[in-house]
Amino acid sequence: MLRADAGEVNVAESVRARLFARLREQEASSEPEQIARALAALGHAQPARAAHADMHTAFLANVLANKGTVELARDRGAAVQAIARYLYQRFRTHKLVAGNDPRLAAMPWRDGGVLPRFGAAENGDSAALSYARVGVAETGAIVTFTGRANPGRNNLLPEDHLVLINREDVVATLEDAWARIRRDTVASGWPRGIQFIAGPSSTADVEAQLVMGAHGPRRWHVILVGDTPAEALEQASEGIAGA
Amino acid sequence: MKLASNEFLQAASAALQEQDKAQRRTIIGQFLPLARDAAASAYGDFDGLRAHMKRVRRHTTAHLSHYLEQFEEAAVQHGNQVHFVANAEQLNSKVLSICQAHSARRVAKGKSMVTEETGLNELLLKAGLDVLETDLGEYIIQQAGETPSHIVGPALHKSLAEIRQLFLDKHKLGDRDLDTVSEVVEEARSVLREKFLAADVGIIGANALIAEHGTSMLVTNEGNGDLCANLPPVLIVCTTFERILPRAEDAMALQRLLVRSATGQPQTCYTSFYTGPRREDDVDGPLETHIILLDNKRSDILASDYSEMLDCIRCGACLNHCPIYIGVGGHAYGWVYPGPMGSVLTPLLNSLEQAHQLPNACTSCGRCAEVCPANIPLPDLLRDLRQDESVQQLKPARWRNGLRLHAWLLRHPALYQSLTGWAMSVLGLLGKRRGTFRRLPFAGSWTGQRDFPAPEGGGTFMRQYAARRRRGGKRG
Repeated sequence: MLRADAGEVNVAESVRARLFARLREQEASSEPEQIARALAALGHAQPARAAHADMHTAFLANVLANKGTVELARDRGAAVQAIARYLYQRFRTHKLVAGNDPRLAAMPWRDGGVLPRFGAAENGDSAALSYARVGVAETGAIVTFTGRANPGRNNLLPEDHLVLINREDVVATLEDAWARIRRDTVASGWPRGIQFIAGPSSTADVEAQLVMGAHGPRRWHVILVGDTPAEALEQASEGIAGA
Repeated sequence: MKLASNEFLQAASAALQEQDKAQRRTIIGQFLPLARDAAASAYGDFDGLRAHMKRVRRHTTAHLSHYLEQFEEAAVQHGNQVHFVANAEQLNSKVLSICQAHSARRVAKGKSMVTEETGLNELLLKAGLDVLETDLGEYIIQQAGETPSHIVGPALHKSLAEIRQLFLDKHKLGDRDLDTVSEVVEEARSVLREKFLAADVGIIGANALIAEHGTSMLVTNEGNGDLCANLPPVLIVCTTFERILPRAEDAMALQRLLVRSATGQPQTCYTSFYTGPRREDDVDGPLETHIILLDNKRSDILASDYSEMLDCIRCGACLNHCPIYIGVGGHAYGWVYPGPMGSVLTPLLNSLEQAHQLPNACTSCGRCAEVCPANIPLPDLLRDLRQDESVQQLKPARWRNGLRLHAWLLRHPALYQSLTGWAMSVLGLLGKRRGTFRRLPFAGSWTGQRDFPAPEGGGTFMRQYAARRRRGGKRG
């Protein structure tokens, strides 16, 4: 870090001081407790109307609406098989990058013939896999934290982004998602980055036409792990076809 | 960016002659409002959400120094360097000095209207830095040497053919077709990917600052801002202090409004919350992060009668719904922010003297206020600016005298009614034969486009209304 110039520091300090003085001039002085009470009294927003009565069906329907693809896997063994199939169909390989997430390390990769490289994605990697912390039914988004378990670039650099999400980690609303994020970061500390992802990277900047794969992943494949009835996926797909 | 808002009328006339661009704008004006309406009605109580956000804003504004201090404290604790800057020059030189401290050569930028406002690129380029816009729309206009025509889709004024030719000229990649939108996007992707990987400094904006965690929220579809925030060793967030919201949930409420109003999506592809530099557990991310909080007259606006304008979340809905914006396009407004929000902001962030034509670029139709997710009374603010314009004598004397006469007449209803009644009879008599007028004195521009129907018998509205009341006819 370069030593800051003393003159520069003084200018910055006085800009800050002037702004705060200006703001305080117009504000009625209140105790922090009063402000906190007033804020709590505002409550939170009403979430969007649910796409389906069943939360997991709603989640799947919204992932599809976000131009993602979805698959159900009964358990982690079935998830490995699904990933192997996906990789072979898309890239004719079983190459995969995954963060150093203990949940990912413990999966039966050998059964599917997949040998993941554990670490950060590099330019040119075809597929990366993330284990999401939370799924949001309201918007069809998944949440990841940056860190060893999921480096930020794993969500961004590969051609395809594959995501595993446990059934029990799907919540109804964005507010519920933040409640989970707060709970999950108590032990680990606040991460550098929290990313809600809802679709492959896209742009409509040229003639307002939607194109996938603007800068980041071209495809976004979400695998819901757990005992989800097949009808949930059928109903979710019907909603999209009918839309 | 050079301010040319007082050439609005000339620029608007020129824009109206460009058929091809006008057609693309018409499509924007039809398609985006449909997408917004569908998303708002699928949401459920969208108006309730708008009202909730307004309450949160009022609360935040009433305690802004408290929340700003809370944000600063948390951000510094996370290892950020927080800088307060008063104006465009200070922001630009702060960014330059950070770049120079790291001997940076290549800068990758995510979309930031604030740095458009301060003209950051120009200064960095002059200092010899290689500055690249990475949002596809911003990249296109940067290559073309143009300015944004829309705050969400900066290059929507350009045709595929124009962009194709631009890329063929700028990217020396040999023979290729490049005649579909997908091919154009693909080429930009591969050119820009190399730039992301080589960048020394990343610059992004913020859609919200969250006081409780000291984090900034970034909302994008392309993921370009996230690449800027995760790959280069230094990250600079350029934003303004009024983006502050107390809680993460408040940022989520804002995000719900923003995305539906801008593109009709329930959530953009990427909604990211950045905390600061790389931590012990991180294997990537910037080593050093700066947050620059710009004032640039916002504290003046906050203390003025126009403070509600600071609630604007830059969704672009007022542009998409404005008949003037759709008619003449963003460039006619002569600065960074066009459309209704721009017609309020441009005079406030510069001076009314330099931009007093913009508040007149309004038909008072009210569509902007109807859809504004922040419930900003845009037509009222525009009217107040027109009032200021008159008070500051920026309008020609002929106009001011005319308006004064009109106002005086309106305050004398008996005289007004007898004068208009007389005018109506004269017009009725004169136009009796043809039924319409091709030309009228003082209304040349109006009759230039259409005929004026001659009034039929029965007189003015007031007279007909009174006659109907006397007859006890049906109301309404």
